[in-house]
Amino acid sequence: MAAVTLTNVVKRFGVFEVVHGANIDIADGEFVVFVGPSGCGKSTLLRMIAGLEDISGGKIAIGGKVMNDVEPADRGIAMVFQSYALYPHMTVEQNLSFGLRMNGNPKADTDRRVKRAAEILRIDELMQRRPKQLSGGQRQRVAIGRAIVREPQVFLFDEPLSNLDAELRVQMRVEISRLHKELGVTMIYVTHDQTEAMTLADRIVVLKAGNVEQIGAPLDLYDDPANRFVAGFIGSPKMNFLSAKVVETSNSAATVELVNHGGARLRKPLCDAFPAIGAEVVLGVRPEHFFEAGEGDCDIPVKADVAEHLGSVSYVYANAGAEELIVEREASRQRASGDHFTVSIKAERALLFDKKGARIR
Amino acid sequence: MRTQNATAYRFLTPYLLIFAIFWIWPIISSFLISFQATRTVPWRFAPAFNWGRLIGDPAFYNALKNTLLILVIQVPVMIALAIVMAVLLNSPLLKARGLYRFAFFAPVVVGEVAYSAVFRLMFSLDFGIVNKLLESVGLEKIDWFSNVTPAMAVIMIAVTWRWAGYNAIIILAGLQSIPEDVYEAATLDRVSKLKQFFYITLPLLKPVIVFCAVLSIIGTMQLFTEPFLITERGGPGGGTETLGLLLYRQGFRSLNFGYASAVAYTMAGLAIAITLVQLWLTREPK
Repeated sequence: MAAVTLTNVVKRFGVFEVVHGANIDIADGEFVVFVGPSGCGKSTLLRMIAGLEDISGGKIAIGGKVMNDVEPADRGIAMVFQSYALYPHMTVEQNLSFGLRMNGNPKADTDRRVKRAAEILRIDELMQRRPKQLSGGQRQRVAIGRAIVREPQVFLFDEPLSNLDAELRVQMRVEISRLHKELGVTMIYVTHDQTEAMTLADRIVVLKAGNVEQIGAPLDLYDDPANRFVAGFIGSPKMNFLSAKVVETSNSAATVELVNHGGARLRKPLCDAFPAIGAEVVLGVRPEHFFEAGEGDCDIPVKADVAEHLGSVSYVYANAGAEELIVEREASRQRASGDHFTVSIKAERALLFDKKGARIR
Repeated sequence: MRTQNATAYRFLTPYLLIFAIFWIWPIISSFLISFQATRTVPWRFAPAFNWGRLIGDPAFYNALKNTLLILVIQVPVMIALAIVMAVLLNSPLLKARGLYRFAFFAPVVVGEVAYSAVFRLMFSLDFGIVNKLLESVGLEKIDWFSNVTPAMAVIMIAVTWRWAGYNAIIILAGLQSIPEDVYEAATLDRVSKLKQFFYITLPLLKPVIVFCAVLSIIGTMQLFTEPFLITERGGPGGGTETLGLLLYRQGFRSLNFGYASAVAYTMAGLAIAITLVQLWLTREPK
């Protein structure tokens, strides 16, 4: 087991800098998820930790030892690839044992490790099959098994579930979580799926365009995002953003007017920064934080456009002025398309962002 | 739908007619001819005449031996060379890759007569660059075309030069279809580059290599140009005569169409048999 530390890590491809000085501390035994949209540099960061990409600047340390110039095989890591990267001409057993056999590991030890991995992942009965004779979920298990037999200090997962169907993804998510508890080793997991990040991680690293936007526990990121990007990325359906203008400030709050909602006003208590009167701001409200009319501090009328009924909850895609809102409703309060209704916003559940997207607290 | 099919077939008819007359019929006809004595007028049906002669003909066995010798030595060497060339072409360290790819493929598009003439010149006893090079390093020059072994070597070198690049391009396509992350997984498993080549690249290239080998076997069984032009009609003294050349000599110089047809069918049968054995030996385990 080992801690992983990234200090000012930079990656350049030619003249293009794709990771701009990442600083991340991952504790021993922690499950950390790198999450962000395509092209944000999360896989590149993971590959730099693995040693599959050179580091253009900064330091990467595993277990306290700087790994910048250490060969991938000597870093004490194992990686599970998005495409599984199984050896197609080998059986499951050969796939699991290949690395150990090639390095002259004693046969008894190789057999022990392969048997243990097969037991952990429940793939004992698949050992003589080839990858093409396996389902997507089984292939993923074998790929994880290949990582387990290396007995690494750090597991790296590069979008391992993205090729699986929704049901299998949920199942494998649980398996990976169970595996982390069972093995107790450090795991770094890359995904663009915020649900995976929220359900698996001890801590999430949110990346955007090569920058670390925020690091924190899943619910901390959900409840207290550092900026509009994190607020929009974490949470499904995503947070609603309503254009607003500051119309009044005091030493403990700012009153904003929702510009697309007939001048509806909300007084938002603040503690740090106080925007200038007239400043354009954005009010963020999660779909589940819209209340019934009169229950909150500010009511806005909306018209249901499309309603998705998921059973326990419904998501109403509503038009409100020039803005589209997503409103979560419990099943008992389902709305049909075309319904006019009023939602209410509570100041304590709304977040305020400046024009550039930074949080105003 | 039926009307559409009829229209399609009407458009296809000219091609199918030409295909039937100039392709299918000659195949059937030559098979029938192989059972006829064609040196008599009129031709007469004599099943044992050509096939019986084939079994006891020293010229046939000589041509068969030469063809198989070239096949056994030249094809594996050429395929091995093609694999090495493909791996080099695939290397990210190689600069001007497109130029090398063109250079390796270029021999295929060079006219057969032109390249044969150049090879005759290169291996000429007194003026050839090969002998000049041998002499320059203190070795004796070789009379390449007067002795059977060097003459066979020249044919094998020529055929390898002409077709290795062609096969390398096919193998390169196979190489590029192997996912990069398989190698990355092996790198993380501390598997050396050499072991990656033998344990990952070669097994995954097997279908492409078998394809190249089958094409090469068929090509070698039909080998004609090189012994005809480079070693002057299978010289010295028939020492480099191949089955293709024997067929030509019997069919178009002696006008013995029946015997030539029997040789042609033997060549085709051997090519099919060798290919089947090879496919069986390299089959995918279930």
